[in-house]
Amino acid sequence: MDDAARRLLQRLVRRIPAQTLKTTLDKWGRLKAAQRQSMDFTQSKWALTEKLLAICEENELTLKHIAELEMIHVIENPDRSMWYALQLMDPEDDAHSVELTQFKEQFKSHLSELVRHVSIKIKKHTDEAVWIRIAWGDSFSRPNHLKPTYVVHHLQTPYVFVTGLTSKLKLLLTQALVLSTRHQAIKDASLSGRKLTAIRDLLMRQYQQVFPTKYPSPLAESNQNATNPLIDKEQAELSANRHQMACEAFGSGMLPQLQSAVYKLETKFRDHMNKTMTEREEPLKCVVKFASTSLLESLRHCASSGIASTPVTPLLSSIPLKGRNYFVITDNGPGPSSQTRQPQN
Amino acid sequence: MEAASTKGVLSHLSLLEVQARSRRSRPQQQSRVTELKAKVEALKVQKEQLEAEIQTHQNLQKLRSSLDKQCADEDDVEMEEDSENSELLRLMARHTQLKDLLHAHHLIGGYDVIKTRQGKGVCVSLATAYEGVYLDTYNLEIDLKPAVRISRHNIPPFIPVNSLAKENNMQTHMRAFLDALSQHLNAFAGRKQELKLLKEQHKSVEVMESNVLCSILVLMFTVPKEKTAVLCTLDYIDHSSCLPKRVHLECEDKQLPDSPQWKKNCSLLMETPVHTALTAMRKVGDIV
Repeated sequence: MDDAARRLLQRLVRRIPAQTLKTTLDKWGRLKAAQRQSMDFTQSKWALTEKLLAICEENELTLKHIAELEMIHVIENPDRSMWYALQLMDPEDDAHSVELTQFKEQFKSHLSELVRHVSIKIKKHTDEAVWIRIAWGDSFSRPNHLKPTYVVHHLQTPYVFVTGLTSKLKLLLTQALVLSTRHQAIKDASLSGRKLTAIRDLLMRQYQQVFPTKYPSPLAESNQNATNPLIDKEQAELSANRHQMACEAFGSGMLPQLQSAVYKLETKFRDHMNKTMTEREEPLKCVVKFASTSLLESLRHCASSGIASTPVTPLLSSIPLKGRNYFVITDNGPGPSSQTRQPQN
Repeated sequence: MEAASTKGVLSHLSLLEVQARSRRSRPQQQSRVTELKAKVEALKVQKEQLEAEIQTHQNLQKLRSSLDKQCADEDDVEMEEDSENSELLRLMARHTQLKDLLHAHHLIGGYDVIKTRQGKGVCVSLATAYEGVYLDTYNLEIDLKPAVRISRHNIPPFIPVNSLAKENNMQTHMRAFLDALSQHLNAFAGRKQELKLLKEQHKSVEVMESNVLCSILVLMFTVPKEKTAVLCTLDYIDHSSCLPKRVHLECEDKQLPDSPQWKKNCSLLMETPVHTALTAMRKVGDIV
């Protein structure tokens, strides 16, 4: 085991919580039964690291194997870093018949052509997602395994999720992705968040959307015991209506847990009282950011309780409708328009 | 006794033994008789129950036909015997009638459409079904004014909604677009269901690869005698169909894919849903 492998393992053991270390190692399957039993997980992280280093040395494991362990940990715990969504565009005719082995080969060969030193690992998860781990190097240095990029893609869908990607390397990655998935272009999907599952569910439409139907909603029947039945009836109707509209805009049940939405305003300042600002030529730039542990649920609650007006403004309903949480608003366009944003490390 | 004296003591003893044994088994017989009697009773009760059910069913049928007639004549004839039971029966008859109507509606390709935004848009529901089982329902909200445009839907991103809209010229041929979309969605739902049934019914067949669109399926069979593994790739190139357009076999035994039996299996896989094809293959003993 070389120095790089040793460092990666040390950092990895530090990062994996003590209570999940055992199951993660079991999934990895690189330790022999006797070695597994000899591990005492009540020991300190430092002692465990030393023990693991010795075992890895004994089993002649290399950097490749340690990277595998990291991948297992990241796949199980994806919500630890910022994820960005990318969208593939203009599929070729054969884009829908790309299958895993072919994609693997193509992606590896394209990326190795672009970068001399690169280490790529591809693994298919149980939910049909293809996970890619890339450790980057350049023409002079070997791949840096301490700062890997992770990419998640479901074949046959236009969406790719990435984390740990610098803008310099983005071009290389996107080119390899475009070529190996048989598309012609790729763009930023203006959606990011710490929860991979949330941004995936939002784009793949894997949450419960509400549509207007012929059948009256059962929501109207709740809460009918109050003092004045007439006032109550009127109120109930209104609130049921608001609730229906809120659900049509954001969905019902558990919603994808987005943490933020950012609106970048580049609009003219309008205020009759403040002439100096209004007469300025250049637009006023400001950024509005909404943040919450679950933004969509908060917004739905605002709309259904009457804090925000219904029907829901397109500015807010665009988040689930377009699957984005970054908007640039200018004076020219009627609706929210967008601009690409560079995902940064 | 005379027989006993002529044949000896031993035979007499064995005769006594047989008699004793049969006496002991008599109470057992007794219990068997009561058991059978209970069974007869139970069956009688069941028979009565079934007869009652038949009676109800016939009543339902009668009511149903009179209801159908009523609908046809637009005639509001009140039913007789207004007991609690007849009310229930009438509701049941109405229920079956509505269910049949709904089924017929879907059969002729009807879509559930309602107006939204004061008539400026519509919301279309597309139901999917496979072998008589209703699966997911997908919805589309379409703006009609100022231009025909899909504003919102819950169809997964791997179904090419927009290119189907363009291909079928949604602006003028809404029906053609909806038909094509419904075909795609039903085929997808069908393939997904087939994969689910395959995993349930054929534990010995390993699914090596599949994708979210269920358009590629790689299976591993085991040939019983030689225990050789066969890798079978099903390629559903036509996404609006539940059947693969291409079946490819790979095996260490190079002759196997060209054998007449496996050629037959290939065409079977192309013509019948994968889980039923595998059942047939297992029956003739081609796979474990």
